[in-house]
Amino acid sequence: MSTVRRDLTQIWRWPIVLATLIAVGLVSALLGEGGVWWLLSWVSLCAPLAVIGIAIFRLR
Amino acid sequence: MTRTTLRRWSWVHKWTSVTCTAFLLLICITGLPLVFRDELGVLLDDSLPYASVPPETPNVNLDRIADISRKMYPGETILYIFSDDDEPKILVGMAKSWDEFKQNVQSQHVIKFDAHTAQVLKQSQPNRAEGRSFLDIVLALHRDLFAGLPGELFLAAMALLFVIAIISGVMVYAPFMRKTDFATVRADRSPRLKWLDLHNMLGVVTLAWMLVVGITGILNELAKPLFALWQQTDVVAMLAPMRGQPTPGTGELSSPQAAVDTVKAALPDMVSISLVYPGSPFGSPYHYLIWSKGREPLTSRLFSPALVDARSGKLTAIVRMPWYLRAVEVSRPLHFGDYGGMPLKIIWALLDLVTIAVLGSGLYLWLARPSPSWTSQAAADLASHPTSPGVPGGAA
Repeated sequence: MSTVRRDLTQIWRWPIVLATLIAVGLVSALLGEGGVWWLLSWVSLCAPLAVIGIAIFRLR
Repeated sequence: MTRTTLRRWSWVHKWTSVTCTAFLLLICITGLPLVFRDELGVLLDDSLPYASVPPETPNVNLDRIADISRKMYPGETILYIFSDDDEPKILVGMAKSWDEFKQNVQSQHVIKFDAHTAQVLKQSQPNRAEGRSFLDIVLALHRDLFAGLPGELFLAAMALLFVIAIISGVMVYAPFMRKTDFATVRADRSPRLKWLDLHNMLGVVTLAWMLVVGITGILNELAKPLFALWQQTDVVAMLAPMRGQPTPGTGELSSPQAAVDTVKAALPDMVSISLVYPGSPFGSPYHYLIWSKGREPLTSRLFSPALVDARSGKLTAIVRMPWYLRAVEVSRPLHFGDYGGMPLKIIWALLDLVTIAVLGSGLYLWLARPSPSWTSQAAADLASHPTSPGVPGGAA
């Protein structure tokens, strides 16, 4: 942790990437049936879970 | 953002959260088994098994199903026939009369048939005489707290507060993050700081999912009043030319199978899934109401009602659903998470657990909030060190 103040771009960069991935994941399984669409949905929606996993892992 | 704006958003975040958290915890906990309700339903079902038949075996004629049902319960009225497209089952709802059903919806009982053999697989008792199933209880807690429509509207209000809490949470997020990197959890200082960081991290990471499930939850809770609105406006207008005619008696009814075939011919791209008999409060006094749905992933969520004259068997109208009911229909899968196979359900359950952690940590931060004297001390410290970060005291 540094004492440099982060600007809004730095603060919101990752949350926006994750929100976009979630949106892609939710919509792809809704519009496409099975196969690659479902896979895209699973992978995108796992991104926030992966971030949480990494953050918790770093805690230990 | 000015200090005053920030304080206002903190206030909104605190009080919307505090008001809805207990109910949201209940909703999230009961939502967990409901994600797997299809699987649990099969597991807990005590019906006779389906007959194993060669593939492409056609379903039995609905007229035969109606005849068997009437012979089993002479003098009773058939309310509806529902045929599933996932499982080879046909459900027939019956009651002593439409009047009895209108007075008490629970007075109906349901016969479950094998769609290929017309064998009776299971029967339910009127007025839930056999008791509520585990999934019924969980669903009631999740949807209406056993209080019917008032319960649904109350939980819709709680879900609305949850959505406002998420939005206000976004508004107060940035000031906390000026000095730390994304997803940093400072575990080496006070427990409160650790849980504050966890609350912020878990909340912001799953933000979009929580918003979608919250908003679609509100829409689902409003489904009943919206459907009633549509019935009392569009449907009543459509039935106006026939007003005053008596509802056809059992002897006057045309063939239900022929009615479904007529609709299938008019809607070749759709599958008919249910037929509501004339006299239903959810249908028409003079028509069979037949619900059909599309075959594509998205259109299979969109239902189209069609009216067939129950005396003549002629198609009267394919009804166009208004946009607000379309919105309710599309919102269902996005709330249930049942549209992307088992992996999506597991992801849904994990995200639900994360939401429980966000709610729980928020509750902890509120309960373990610094005492007012501490806050004013901190404010005084902040005032004396203008370079300190502007972290609002009781934001969480």
